[in-house]
Amino acid sequence: MAKRALEGIRIVELGPYVALPLTGRILASLGAEVIKVETNKVLDEMAFIPAWSKGAGQPDYQRHKKRITLDVRTDEGKDLLLRLLAVSDVFMTNFRRNILSRWGVDFPEVRAARPDIVIMWQTGLGGNGPYYTYKSFGILVQHMSGVSLMSGSPGSPPVAVNTSYSDYHTGVFQPTAIIAALMRRGMQGKTATMESSIFRSGAVTAGPAILDYQLNNRLPERRDNRDSSAAPHGVYRCQGDDRYCAISVEGDEQWAAFCHVLGNPAWTQELRFSTAFARLNNQDELDRMVGEWTIQLTSKKVMDTLQQAGVPASIVSQGQDLHDSEHLKARDFYRETNYYVAERGTHASQWDEGPSLSWSMPFNMSKTPVEFGNYSNIGEDNSYVFGDLLGLSPTEIARLSEREVIY
Amino acid sequence: MPSQTSYGDNLIAPCRVLDLTDDKGVFCTKLLADYGADVVRVEPPSGDPGRSKGPFPNDEPGMESSAYYLFYNTNKRSITLNLETSLGRSIFKQLAETADVVVESLPVGYLKNLGLDYESLSGSNPGLVMASISPFGQTGPWKDLKSSDLIAMAASGYMQITGEPDQPPVRQGNEQSHFPGAQYAAVAIMAALYHRDMLSGEGQYIDVSQQEALITFYTDAHPALAWMQMEQNVTRVGTNSTLVIPLGAYPCQDGWISAGVITPREWDSLAQWIYEVTGNEEILNEKYKGGNQERAPHMDVITALFLEFSARFTADELFHQGQKRNLVFLPVNDVSDLLHDTQLDASHLWTELNHDQTGVLKYPLGIFDSEDFAPAQSAAPSLGQDNQSIYEGELGLTAQEMAGLRSARVI
Repeated sequence: MAKRALEGIRIVELGPYVALPLTGRILASLGAEVIKVETNKVLDEMAFIPAWSKGAGQPDYQRHKKRITLDVRTDEGKDLLLRLLAVSDVFMTNFRRNILSRWGVDFPEVRAARPDIVIMWQTGLGGNGPYYTYKSFGILVQHMSGVSLMSGSPGSPPVAVNTSYSDYHTGVFQPTAIIAALMRRGMQGKTATMESSIFRSGAVTAGPAILDYQLNNRLPERRDNRDSSAAPHGVYRCQGDDRYCAISVEGDEQWAAFCHVLGNPAWTQELRFSTAFARLNNQDELDRMVGEWTIQLTSKKVMDTLQQAGVPASIVSQGQDLHDSEHLKARDFYRETNYYVAERGTHASQWDEGPSLSWSMPFNMSKTPVEFGNYSNIGEDNSYVFGDLLGLSPTEIARLSEREVIY
Repeated sequence: MPSQTSYGDNLIAPCRVLDLTDDKGVFCTKLLADYGADVVRVEPPSGDPGRSKGPFPNDEPGMESSAYYLFYNTNKRSITLNLETSLGRSIFKQLAETADVVVESLPVGYLKNLGLDYESLSGSNPGLVMASISPFGQTGPWKDLKSSDLIAMAASGYMQITGEPDQPPVRQGNEQSHFPGAQYAAVAIMAALYHRDMLSGEGQYIDVSQQEALITFYTDAHPALAWMQMEQNVTRVGTNSTLVIPLGAYPCQDGWISAGVITPREWDSLAQWIYEVTGNEEILNEKYKGGNQERAPHMDVITALFLEFSARFTADELFHQGQKRNLVFLPVNDVSDLLHDTQLDASHLWTELNHDQTGVLKYPLGIFDSEDFAPAQSAAPSLGQDNQSIYEGELGLTAQEMAGLRSARVI
């Protein structure tokens, strides 16, 4: 088997929710050994989603990790965590420093256990500064980072996407810096402590609008689905329930191809649609005419005929489209996985197993495997980590489980 | 292999990255450049199309002053090179012989037709890491389809869950579709460099799909899983959420406040506060207590009670008082709010960079705050500013040869 990209790296992940676990999953898929520290006493609320099937969504975040249960709030738990960190390369956590300090695993203690460990401290709004005690969720950071007021139409309420938004930016930023810090440590012998924040990750993406405000003292134009230079450019209603096709016609060549697909009806030849500039100035009317064509067809038919003519178009994919997609199947993107049905107040070892599906990484690498791996239940890897790695005897592990330290 | 002493204050060594990306990948190479890589943007002699894209200072277009270009090309260098000429291609091959990384987001197969794909370039440089960022990946039946920011939002389904329930899907503004693929590409490139420099000496090829990257950026909506298990399609819920209940952006006295509750304890705190303010005992009803799924059937009642409550406060009052009650209340900001935010300042987000067309501007380069390294500190390059140092200094071309290339429109 080919050597994995991050072979030999051991990472300890302490913390719930979306961004931190996503970082762990990405690093695990690249071959790092990611050990996730949890306890049955306080479960991640994400263990109970989606609402219709509690726990079925967890493989997306937790696949391919070694999952152990350890109550780090106990003295013995803290000692075991420090022993684990002493043989690890990276410590990543999203707990606040005052809480880590209360448990005795704040960064000075961690550095004492392993001086050259790389530390990634993920915060919500920032670890130092006026909001350092404040809480946040990624899904609301789309409002705080400015993007919801850059979306939609002028004067409309903030426009939101129904997901944890900037948690994903943070979750995918973090692996780049962790790997970079490990290389730097290897080459230069210098380690790093770094802090990320969900807020900051969102603000970074505000992009050119930040410069525009400083240059021209104005806020970005809210363009809905339209474009500053291309028309038609939007989503158009098609046959079926809540079905739309997105079309973006850029330049005169694509416009000619678009008109050809429609059979060059008379309206497409009118002066008011003859140039990109004219089309931009008559967009409401243009969109109405395009919509009269698309509503007669399925969104897939609109997409296929336009794409065949070289015009950018796509169905607005729904869950079924993604689930059944021949393209995603050819790329082996969604794969079957087991999961454990979470039940509040019940020890995870008692949870039933069921079938779910999970995505695989959105990239392939030619020489090193990008691993899908297996999905462990909470605490499933206790004997490997506490026994094989830390050298505890089965009797000792049983004693600590009894005392609800390994629990 | 990077030398032992060349890092300076940066997170990564100045490894050479040849940047052939457009909108889909320009943020990937920006990340690497801000971390400290020596990213050389290879532009056609007429200039990267990003230079023609606004906004511009005072709305006066200029090749050196596009805010779009300036934002996405910090800490890079620029050379001009026409890859459509055979001489241009042979110069690119020479550059690739000593490069660490090539990143491209051209149509699938385009570089292969030019003889500049990974197979061709890695022959003389087995340590080369090459990444392609494309709308649908390098394989599969959709690989050649045309795309754009809007099309990427649609094809991935990200739009399906953006906007109001009774309205058409809306794309997120700001060309957000380009971030996920670019970010994953940077992860894979870093992993490939680690593997090369720390383990094997070997480079490799990376294929990133923008569509798949975007799908992972709304994982918690679980679109395919909802279809598999319930034959339901997840859809738009406005500013609410199917994950956190209640959650949303709500009107208040002077604008909007966003707020959300996850844990049973947070709910108890919010319900108590709403009760204190409105005196309405209904909010304390046992049936709303517990986790998100307990409250899900009662959203309408809860939202109405919340609106009665939020109308009595300003956004600032709700933000700070809510946080003091251990609740996630956050402001709904615009870009000017970000520039004035005291927390972002304290987190060292901003780096001031001087550029001769714009003067000093604040750039958000501090994704990570650390005492151990800092972002690189150069503004975006002017078109072809590094032609001389790279073509003469590195490839050893003479001034005469340079003039020849210029008149042949190669550089």
